[in-house]
Amino acid sequence: MTKILLGLFSGIAFGFVIQRIGATNAGKMARAHLMIEPDIPRFMLAAVALSAAGLLGLTAAGVGKTMVLPTSIVATGLAAVIFGIGWGLAGYCPGTTWAAAGEGRMDAVFALLGGFAGAAVFAQLHEILIPLLYDPTNMGQLTLADWTKSQGAAVATLAVVFSVCIYFIGKLWHRQPGNG
Amino acid sequence: MQQSSEHSAYWKWIPASFALAGIIVFIFATFGPPASSSGFVSTLKGFFQVVAPGYAASKTHYQIIPGPGSWLFAFVVGMAIGGFVAGRTFPVPTRDVPRIWEQRFGSSRRRRYAATFAGGFLILFGARLAGGCTLGLFISGSTQLAISGLYFGVLIFAFAMITARLVYGPVRKETIE
Repeated sequence: MTKILLGLFSGIAFGFVIQRIGATNAGKMARAHLMIEPDIPRFMLAAVALSAAGLLGLTAAGVGKTMVLPTSIVATGLAAVIFGIGWGLAGYCPGTTWAAAGEGRMDAVFALLGGFAGAAVFAQLHEILIPLLYDPTNMGQLTLADWTKSQGAAVATLAVVFSVCIYFIGKLWHRQPGNG
Repeated sequence: MQQSSEHSAYWKWIPASFALAGIIVFIFATFGPPASSSGFVSTLKGFFQVVAPGYAASKTHYQIIPGPGSWLFAFVVGMAIGGFVAGRTFPVPTRDVPRIWEQRFGSSRRRRYAATFAGGFLILFGARLAGGCTLGLFISGSTQLAISGLYFGVLIFAFAMITARLVYGPVRKETIE
């Protein structure tokens, strides 16, 4: 029961914040992809860099749980291409569809239904596709810390790289706000 | 236009990123890596357990993801509630067809809904193949310094940007305004 309440509370807070930055607005998301509005990608990258620093603190304190997904060169790469095409087409990603549907956007309800169809088709094909696409090029649970030898150095590297990305997104996107 | 006053209703990206990071760290502390595409599988598992229990039990993908009653399911339900509350307390009205889409393809709801259904299909099919989505793989993974999350993140941004160019065509002046 505690798990359910924690999940609900976390989801409500997460859904609220992503609505407030405009990520549940598919028009704003399209404008982010078209390099018109920089705020959503800057928000995402900054949130990740800050979270990585926070997680470093949690790990040091021995709190919480982590689970690194493996990198499969073919499956992760192909999946990202398919995902990117869907994200660019609809302007929704799996998390934002729930919040946007809750917000009352009918196009998000259809994205949600399409999502159920896509997940169901993948679940049906799991036994064929995972051995075919995922397993042969599965490189294991690689992390940046494998190269930097320390988690702190890896977080610092991530923060620097993401800061540079945020800087260039601010320069290269047109900085035109709007309501999509 | 009237957009400038309405636009200020959106949060600025720096405080918003601190807010989201606080929530993400809270989730790592109280649960583990956050994820949302798993919530789709969790919901489907609950559905199939009722209508076709044998099928749900026989498929690996439903065996590896917990059903309704899990944190993952509660999280996506919470996301919908959070979106609902946020929408009710926000001055900018929602649109079923985004303005930028309408400028390109007209106001047909059927066409927009067909496109978002197709897009929804692709993002979930891709997310389940990779094992996670924007949140479950890019954000959770990169927060844990995972190469899988960074690799996935670079490609999803690149292909979403290319696809948006193809869908919306060259960025015209009226799109920017």
